[in-house]
Order: sequence, then C-alpha cells, then structure tokens
Amino acid sequence: MTKRGHCKGVDSKLSWTQVETGSAITWKYPSCILTGDNSVAEFYSVAVTNNYQQADTGTKMIHIGKNTRSTIVSKGISAGKSQNSYRGLVRVSEKADNARNYSQCDSLLLGSECGAHTFPYMDIHNETAIVEHEATTSKISEDQLFYCNQRGISTEDAVGLIVNGYAKEVINKLPMEFAVEAQKLLAISLEGSVG
Amino acid sequence: MLEVKDLHASINGKEILKGINLSIKKGEVHAIMGPNGSGKSTLSSVLVGHPSFEVTKGSVTFDGQDLLELSPEDRSHAGLFLSFQYPVEIPGVSMVNFMRAAVNEKRKYEGKSALTASEFLKLMREKRAVVELDNKLANRSVNEGFSGGEKKRNEIFQMAMLEPKLSILDETDSGLDIDALRIVAEGVNKLKTPETSCIVITHYQRLLDYIKPDVVHVLYKGRIVKTAGPELALEIEKRGFDWIKKELGE
Repeated sequence: MTKRGHCKGVDSKLSWTQVETGSAITWKYPSCILTGDNSVAEFYSVAVTNNYQQADTGTKMIHIGKNTRSTIVSKGISAGKSQNSYRGLVRVSEKADNARNYSQCDSLLLGSECGAHTFPYMDIHNETAIVEHEATTSKISEDQLFYCNQRGISTEDAVGLIVNGYAKEVINKLPMEFAVEAQKLLAISLEGSVG
Repeated sequence: MLEVKDLHASINGKEILKGINLSIKKGEVHAIMGPNGSGKSTLSSVLVGHPSFEVTKGSVTFDGQDLLELSPEDRSHAGLFLSFQYPVEIPGVSMVNFMRAAVNEKRKYEGKSALTASEFLKLMREKRAVVELDNKLANRSVNEGFSGGEKKRNEIFQMAMLEPKLSILDETDSGLDIDALRIVAEGVNKLKTPETSCIVITHYQRLLDYIKPDVVHVLYKGRIVKTAGPELALEIEKRGFDWIKKELGE
C-alpha cells in the first residue's frame, strides 16, 4: 500500500501518522512531496510485528521547493520470529535550497528470534541541505520484566507498559480517542509474545 | 511469618544454597551478613522467585502459604518486597505509571477497586516525603539517569507505596554516602510497624547502627553457620569473618 501527499502551495503542511500492526506481510510507504516553498511534512510511525509477520515500512520525503522541512519518527517493535524494517528515502532536488530533514528510527526487540532493520536512503542534490539520521536498537531485558514482576506487575502488563512508553512519542500525535485504541491494539498485538 | 526449611537452590546446575534454615516472626528484623559469594543475594532472589534459580530441595512458607508455589507477582501481592541491590532502568515508563500499575494490581488482588488519579497522586505525595524523594524524580522514567543514591531511595519509596509485610533489603547501603544512608535507613524505620518484618542483607555494621536487628545471621558457603544477637554484627565489624571460618575448622 502506498499513499502520497503533495504539499503544493506555499507554507503548506502535511502530517502522516500510522500505527501498523496488520497483515502477514506489509509494504507501506506513505510519502510526501514538498513542492511549495516553506512547506513542512511529518511522518510518525509505530510498526509492531509478532509471530512470523514481516513489515517493511517507512516514508519518502521529496524536497522540491525551497526552505522545505521534514521530520521522520519511526518506532519498530518486533516480537516472536518477525522481521521489522524501516525503509525510507529523503530526496533533496537541485532547486530545494535550505531543505532540512531529521530522521529518527528506533527499534525494540522482544525475545531473541526477531529482527529489526533500518534502511535510510538519502539522495541529496543541493549543497545547502541539512539531513540528519539517528537510529537506536534496544531490547526488553529479563531483568526489567522481573523487576516489574517483583512489584506485582505481570509479565504481559509489564511488556504493555514498556512498549507504550516506548511508542509514546508517536501515540501522543494521535487524536485522543484513537490514541486509547492504539494503546490497546499494541497490547493485543503482543499478547503471548513473552514467556 | 517466614519459615525456610532446608532450602537448596542452584543456578545453571551449580548449587549455591545448601540447606538454609530461617525463621522470621512478625515484627522482627533479621540481618544476614557474610563474605562475598556466600549466597546472600541468591537467597533473596530465590525468595522473590527469580526465574534463573532453581529450588532443588526444601520448603518456604510465608504467612501460612507455600511461597514456592506462587508466581513472582503473586509473592509481591502476598506482601513480599525486595529492595534490589542493582535496580534496573526502564526507559520510557514513568515512575507514576509504573507505581500506579503496581499499586492497582495489588489492590485488584486484594479485591479492592483501583485508585482514582487524584487519590493515587495524593498517596504518591505522602509516601515520597518518607524518603525525601524529589517530585522531579517521580516524573522521570523508572530509575533512568538516577544516581546510585537516588535509585536506592526510589526502592524504599516503592516499599512505602506497596506496604509489604516482609521487606528484604539487599545491600541497600552499598554505594550510599552517609547522608543518603541516613535518609534511607530512617525511611525504613518509619515504615516499620509491629506487624511487618525485615531482612537486611549487608556487609557492614554501619547500616545496622540505624536499623537495629533483633537477630544476626552469618551466611557462608550457602549455609547459615552462625546466629546470634546484634552483638555478632559488632564483632564481625571488628574481626572480619576469618574467626568464624576457623571455628568451622577451615
């Protein structure tokens, strides 16, 4: 599935927020084309994979207008034997003076049989562009879970707490009602993934 | 309250505890001392049900219940608390959310309804004062970026929130400066009631100046080799453990 948004006019703004828990195999790259000068685009994503799911998701930010800015925040959570990839392109064309991009890709692993991958593509044709990419990978440790257990929190609830804390940055971008749904969805998607 | 009989436990097939007998009554404070590697931390881990350790023999009853049958979270609900020697960091999970989950799980177990947000925050404020814990710390992620002293204080804060029947303090004094030690120890004393008991695991007499033990045990090579009153801790402070090893004929 691929959707594209087009920032045509001057000072236009576009924001994608996705919570991806879906199908067996997902390829999904909601994209933004920043044609209008001074336009701004954002992409916020949480992708959860469990069992044998494969998700390969991310975005394209295509900077064409001048002074265009984009932000990418992607949080991947892998459990079971799943594979979770972030794949994203940031393109800055020749005329896109002073384009600015910041990308942050975090991966959280549950268990030892899942995988997380990050493929940031950058295609920069203008010297004035400033493009940043940050990536982290972390794991929920046995010690963290046991600490929660000792305080009376079951392993399943502990995973929910940690995952929701981790995805907070993206979930906070969602409208209230939807954020509550998303939190529950995360917990359901990861049910039975630990212990 | 706690009755440990001939407890044997091992990790990765290596036996660490070789027959522990321990009996703790309501309201008592027991200190457990012993050289490094004698099994002190293993004992506390086994009591709270750490999955890395396997109990191979013996029994533990807590308040009339078979403790070894219970899951770690149910042991917590039953009133057992461990102040960890090395509290772990949980990034992204705020202390408020963490404690709220813990307190409400316990209430659920006791058949009580969950606290409302305002009731809960009031309880947090009250208990924070016990260990002079800063409000800022309560809003940060669990133990993340806390100093050694703050982590230990945070453990006692959690103990205050959960009001356990039996608390195990595993080297709560290690890594604390003298002021932090005093605050932590006073916190523990404030929480002490005639209904609650405490196991204090420590290397040094220093902590026991503040938290007065009723009984002092020496753990050595997986067994309790000596049990006496508080004077034993003072003697160990002066003479070390060698004389006890000699008594054992080593």
